[in-house]
Amino acid sequence: MSNYDFDRVNILLAEDSPFIRSLLVSSLKVLGVGNVFAVEHGGDAIHFLNRVKTEPIKVGVQQIDIVLSNWDMHPIDGMMLLRWIRRHKDSPDRFVPFVMITSYTEPERILEAREMGVTDILAKPFTIKHIGDKLISIIERPRQFVHTKEFFGPDRRRQKIPPKVERRVLTDKSEGVEIIRG
Amino acid sequence: MASNKEVIVRFYRFQNRLKEKTAGLAPGNASISAEALEEAEQALGKMAEDYPDWVSGIIVKLKEQHGRCVDSPEMRRDCFEEINHMAHDMKGQGGTFGYPLITSFADSLYGFTVQRPGEITDNQVELVKSHLDAMRAVIKGRVSGDGGEIGKKLTDSLNQAIEKHEVAD
Repeated sequence: MSNYDFDRVNILLAEDSPFIRSLLVSSLKVLGVGNVFAVEHGGDAIHFLNRVKTEPIKVGVQQIDIVLSNWDMHPIDGMMLLRWIRRHKDSPDRFVPFVMITSYTEPERILEAREMGVTDILAKPFTIKHIGDKLISIIERPRQFVHTKEFFGPDRRRQKIPPKVERRVLTDKSEGVEIIRG
Repeated sequence: MASNKEVIVRFYRFQNRLKEKTAGLAPGNASISAEALEEAEQALGKMAEDYPDWVSGIIVKLKEQHGRCVDSPEMRRDCFEEINHMAHDMKGQGGTFGYPLITSFADSLYGFTVQRPGEITDNQVELVKSHLDAMRAVIKGRVSGDGGEIGKKLTDSLNQAIEKHEVAD
């Protein structure tokens, strides 16, 4: 078994608390993440992503691999950032893995983030091990993206559990299903 | 694949670019090295040592804002916004560094400084001070964890202050 080499990984971190921000930056760096771009809130993150798209050489990064964002920030919070990334026409990568950091762990909050297309949740207070586990999960267990009239985001079904009630199950060959590979 | 029929759902399946980047193309699972994890935990531990200083720094700034509220009532609204912002900063991570009481006091301070219509009364300003006193006592006494007896006392006296001021308003 070999070790991960995060040296070529680019992470965008949006966190408004200076203390937590520096905590996360140093944790990611110690785990070996090559580039951590830290910004203060969702608005700065959007601005940064726009620059990655328009002037990558100047910013020094071609593509962000993972977005790590706090939920509760002013003036643009994590949910607004997530919405922009998943749905806005200017978003440079609508498929980028997005981890929401939050102390809101009530089921309805988690559900809200999931419906908006979040990839994973990092609950506060977190440990280094939690951060490492999230990175591994993103790398080892990527999910297909689903696009329907109501939803765009990573497949909300993580486990293959057969439905309890009889319902129409779409397969790759069903009518109305389109598979896009890349 | 694509037909003239209406598409109900699109599935996007991509190559695992991140895996190629981080673990190469070799089959099998990689892991995060135990040394890296250990080193990162130590970095976190080091930050935990700095945590009381960081909180003390914020308490000083909060105290300045409180002083402004007392001296210049017309500025209370702005000050409360500042206070609210700083309280939000504090409440997130106290638990990680062994100070859940800071999180709970900061959360309470955050809750009652959220902007709402109406005048900000002397009572409310006084209540900010009660919170600051409680936080300062936690940091000064390095009251980590739930703080046992001392922690309970601090929480109770802060709750009493809150009740008192709520009745007064």
